[in-house]
Amino acid sequence: MQATFSIYRKQPGQGSKPGRSTYTVELADDATVMDALLKIRDEQDPTLGFRGSCLHGYCGDCTVRVNGKSAFTCTAKVAPLAGKEIGVEPIRNMPVVKDLISDWDAFLWDKIDMTKPWLEPNGSAADGELQIDDKVMARVRQAMSCHYCGLCDEGCTVLPVDFKFVGPAALTKASRFLFDPRDQATTERLHILERPKGIWDCVHCFEASEHCPREIAPTERIMEMRDEAFKHGISNDQVARHHHSFAASVKRSGWLDEGRLALESEGLTNVKGLMKLLPTAAKAIARGKAPIPYLHHKRPGADKIARIIDKAEAKEK
Amino acid sequence: MKYAFYPGCVSRGGCPELYPSAVRVAAKLGIELDEMKDVACTGAGVLPQYISDPINARTFAKAERMGLPMMTICSTCQGVFGQANLRLQDPEYRAKINREYLADEGLEYHGTTDIKHLLWVVMEDYGADKLKSMVSKPLTGLKVSPFYGCFLRRPPEVVTPTKEYNARKTYLEKLIDIVGAELADISGKGKCCGFPVLTANEESSLGMTAKHTGEAKGKGADCMVTPCPLCHLSLDGNQPRAEQQEGKEIGLPILHMPQFLGLALGFSPAEMSLKRHIVSTMAVESKVNMLA
Amino acid sequence: MVVGGGAAGLRAAIAAKQAGAKVALLSKVHPLRTNTGLAQGGINAPLGADDSPEAYAGDILSAGDGLCDPSVVQTFTLQAADAVMWLERMGVPFNRGGDGRFDRRKFGSNSRARSLYVDDRTGHVVMQVLYEQFQRERIPLFADWYVTALAIDSARCVGVTALGLRTGALDSFGARAVVLATGGFTRLYLPSTVSLGTTGDGQNLAYQAGLPLMDLEMVQFHPLAYAGGNSLMISEAVLAEGGQVVTAGGQPIPNFAGSTRDKMCMAIQQAAGEGAPVSLDLTLIGSKNLKARLPQTAELLRTVAGLDPAKDLIPIRPVAHRPVGGIEATTTGQTPMHGLYACGECACTGLNGAGRLAGNVLTEAVVFGARAGEAAAAYAKSAPAASFPAGRLEEEKKRLEALVSSEKSDDTAGRIHAELGALMDRSAGAIREAAGLQAARGQIHALKERYARLRVRNESAIYNYELVAYLELGAMLNLAEALVVAAAARKESRGGHRRSDHPVRDDRTGISHTMITMVQGAPQADTRPVVAL
Repeated sequence: MQATFSIYRKQPGQGSKPGRSTYTVELADDATVMDALLKIRDEQDPTLGFRGSCLHGYCGDCTVRVNGKSAFTCTAKVAPLAGKEIGVEPIRNMPVVKDLISDWDAFLWDKIDMTKPWLEPNGSAADGELQIDDKVMARVRQAMSCHYCGLCDEGCTVLPVDFKFVGPAALTKASRFLFDPRDQATTERLHILERPKGIWDCVHCFEASEHCPREIAPTERIMEMRDEAFKHGISNDQVARHHHSFAASVKRSGWLDEGRLALESEGLTNVKGLMKLLPTAAKAIARGKAPIPYLHHKRPGADKIARIIDKAEAKEK
Repeated sequence: MKYAFYPGCVSRGGCPELYPSAVRVAAKLGIELDEMKDVACTGAGVLPQYISDPINARTFAKAERMGLPMMTICSTCQGVFGQANLRLQDPEYRAKINREYLADEGLEYHGTTDIKHLLWVVMEDYGADKLKSMVSKPLTGLKVSPFYGCFLRRPPEVVTPTKEYNARKTYLEKLIDIVGAELADISGKGKCCGFPVLTANEESSLGMTAKHTGEAKGKGADCMVTPCPLCHLSLDGNQPRAEQQEGKEIGLPILHMPQFLGLALGFSPAEMSLKRHIVSTMAVESKVNMLA
Repeated sequence: MVVGGGAAGLRAAIAAKQAGAKVALLSKVHPLRTNTGLAQGGINAPLGADDSPEAYAGDILSAGDGLCDPSVVQTFTLQAADAVMWLERMGVPFNRGGDGRFDRRKFGSNSRARSLYVDDRTGHVVMQVLYEQFQRERIPLFADWYVTALAIDSARCVGVTALGLRTGALDSFGARAVVLATGGFTRLYLPSTVSLGTTGDGQNLAYQAGLPLMDLEMVQFHPLAYAGGNSLMISEAVLAEGGQVVTAGGQPIPNFAGSTRDKMCMAIQQAAGEGAPVSLDLTLIGSKNLKARLPQTAELLRTVAGLDPAKDLIPIRPVAHRPVGGIEATTTGQTPMHGLYACGECACTGLNGAGRLAGNVLTEAVVFGARAGEAAAAYAKSAPAASFPAGRLEEEKKRLEALVSSEKSDDTAGRIHAELGALMDRSAGAIREAAGLQAARGQIHALKERYARLRVRNESAIYNYELVAYLELGAMLNLAEALVVAAAARKESRGGHRRSDHPVRDDRTGISHTMITMVQGAPQADTRPVVAL
């Protein structure tokens, strides 16, 4: 069959503007987009840049967008798309070095490096074979089935606004150590993950989980780590104040005292932080939409709710 | 049509314009609301699951007792409930929560509570055609950008568990059409408003506020409509701060979904508490007042 | 300097660093993208109560069909358990049984269940753990670097020249010891199960430096490759989980599961030869267990082949998979050249004889990878200082520059590769014979002449994959020629080497390794006896 491709092109270097090149190529009926790219590079345009390794969809190297949808070139079949021109371009949020060759260092490898991505074993081989519940290992295996395809980072709503965010892929990798009973660096890991640009920068929008082709559910993994931080005592001061104020409010009255939350999050002695809130607060008060802090009525059943929270906290300790 | 109504915290707190407008719209449509009083905040994704699952299970158990499906008016409440309810479908987990937390109060959750946001209620239970027939003041010429709030779109296993529910991802656009307004579609409609990260990374949060309101403005929108009061706090409440951070003027009014629908049902801007917003809704009000 | 970022290379680098050496690793793809991910089913270790290094050795010797070096087997089997336990300690989440202890699969001709496994992604997970520990050791990584030549001074390897794809610059790396861990070469067969870059670069470097390649004719074909366009390899784990290989009538091929790989391939070839399409039947496993125990297999069959293993039969055919032969190396990775080591699939120690025992490739990578790293580190410590040969880098730059030309040509590297792959599959495939091998040699020769006339048209330096593909093709052509000569030299059938004109195993003449050395630019065959214990 014949197929025509419109492929994203970009020369290496900061200043270069991206463009597109069009190629028509003759392919076998069961050809993949990778087959097409290899043939185009071989016969038509040796300068076409693209990545690839395993050829069978398990190494994550060849992630692109085909007709706007995320795909691996090595498993994306051409035949169903061949009726029209097929668009191929890099995935979103992905810095590009050249054409379809992405900068995986900036996008992913460097970010993983920041999270202490190795086990600190709490035993040695001399201990022999340990007895561990396979359910625990299954959880680790799930996180390790990740093949670093980058799609969760592509879907992330924080990265376009703050590229320094560590991102769901690196955080998923980190979660695999946090819940491994053979690791002894839990506290240290939580401290690293709770630093700015870490787990608290996630907006839990679930885009990562929706984008993951392997049901690893990165968003849920990040939420689990946040819950773990809550259990251990949150080490990020600002976030800790916010979370403790929230929990205290619900315990006290059954619902959220937003005014008090806003103040306590900044810190009642943090003059600079509190001053920052003034303009918005002033406008809100003027329009009658400022919830007066502390003047917050208790809901019926508040004491029952408080009892549940106390019990839950005690259990997790 | 009767629901156990769960208004959440913000619709009575930071967005007090939402509660009355939602109640009025429901009444107009003939949707009966039995408000749940003795129930807790959902936790909003801030409280960890080991705390929020038990308190939400309690809320679900109470709705079960009332024999009614639940209705929310906040995407965040809807999301947290939906995710918790999915977990509580596991019989072992539910039994554990019942045993350890609800039994004390003589409560038990059987896993049968269904929870829907008002947007889903009007589009699914009430019906788009019936809704259209109730529109007495089509908002002709008003250009509106939709903004869902993440939890009304994701995660898929909660929001769109089967193909039949895929339409949920287009309800706001459909609503804009039903009320006779014009769609100013934006790529950010399903993205994050920035609210959850306001504490940890204010710059990131305000950046998102600016991005989405800016995009809508660029598409010529007169306003944005959102079913989530937390998104509203971010997009409306934080808009001035976002303008300052990004160094650009936006000035885009943000409407709550019930306010927006309410105007088309014939309520006045005052009845919909439009004066409560941080970003002035005057431009929208004028346009609406000029319509027949 | 370790060349190659797969399991063996990573393990060697870690061992060398822990032995006190200053180490760097260079890889043409990032370690997490290497062919190691292809190893799915499991990793052998004699850890079971019913197992022992002796029993393990017995199975290896048996699969090796009389060609294994027993002392090598002994060294290996005595270290395998510790090597795999180390992996677990460093974080590999092996599947466990109800008692919380390791679960094991019984693969191929292993006499007992001794393969520890991680779902059906063992290689992928082991690779991650190795890379994690590599990062923990803070070893500098040069990813997207392609080694173009060894630097040799007075019969000693003193480093490499390599092309940095990101910047396009050719650079020299001086090293007291170089460890080649570049993986296999089966891309010279088409179809094959392996990654794009499995092109035998390390073997070619050693070969061109005059070092012998051993037992090249022993190539493992994987019995369970999807017969469709992509030749997706399906893990043998499926047989351990209850899958069956059936002929057209749905009849399972008898005694299939417990055989060696080469016997399985023969059986399929025979059934197919009788005109019946052969399929893999995984429906018996059931969709629940497919999802739980073979998740990657199920996923890949869906995405690559469009098949649902819970419902559909999967057409299969044997496809070129792994080399058994490679750079002659000792159990500490030493090659005949000072300062040059080899481990993993690019090396041949005599462990596997004429056929690798199923489940051994990952164990081999970590046992011999660690030993090679340690030995290289010890050598580097004691070796006299050396300097990178003056002018060598310039020479290499000029050589590569001369390859580039904008002159138009109808011929391409891809076409030459396609023809090479087809002729190897045809004439040096699962079954060989003299005339075919002879013809193949001539055809390869013709391809080499075409290759010599070919030029690289992409003048850009940055990420010039056309140049890399060109160099890889050169390696494959050399290795193909050497392989064909080795196959012609062994006039018997043994292990993975089947000759229709010499169908029987001949222990009078056959118990010796085939050695191919480059003499005046051409492969020359010789033998090396198998040394009894």
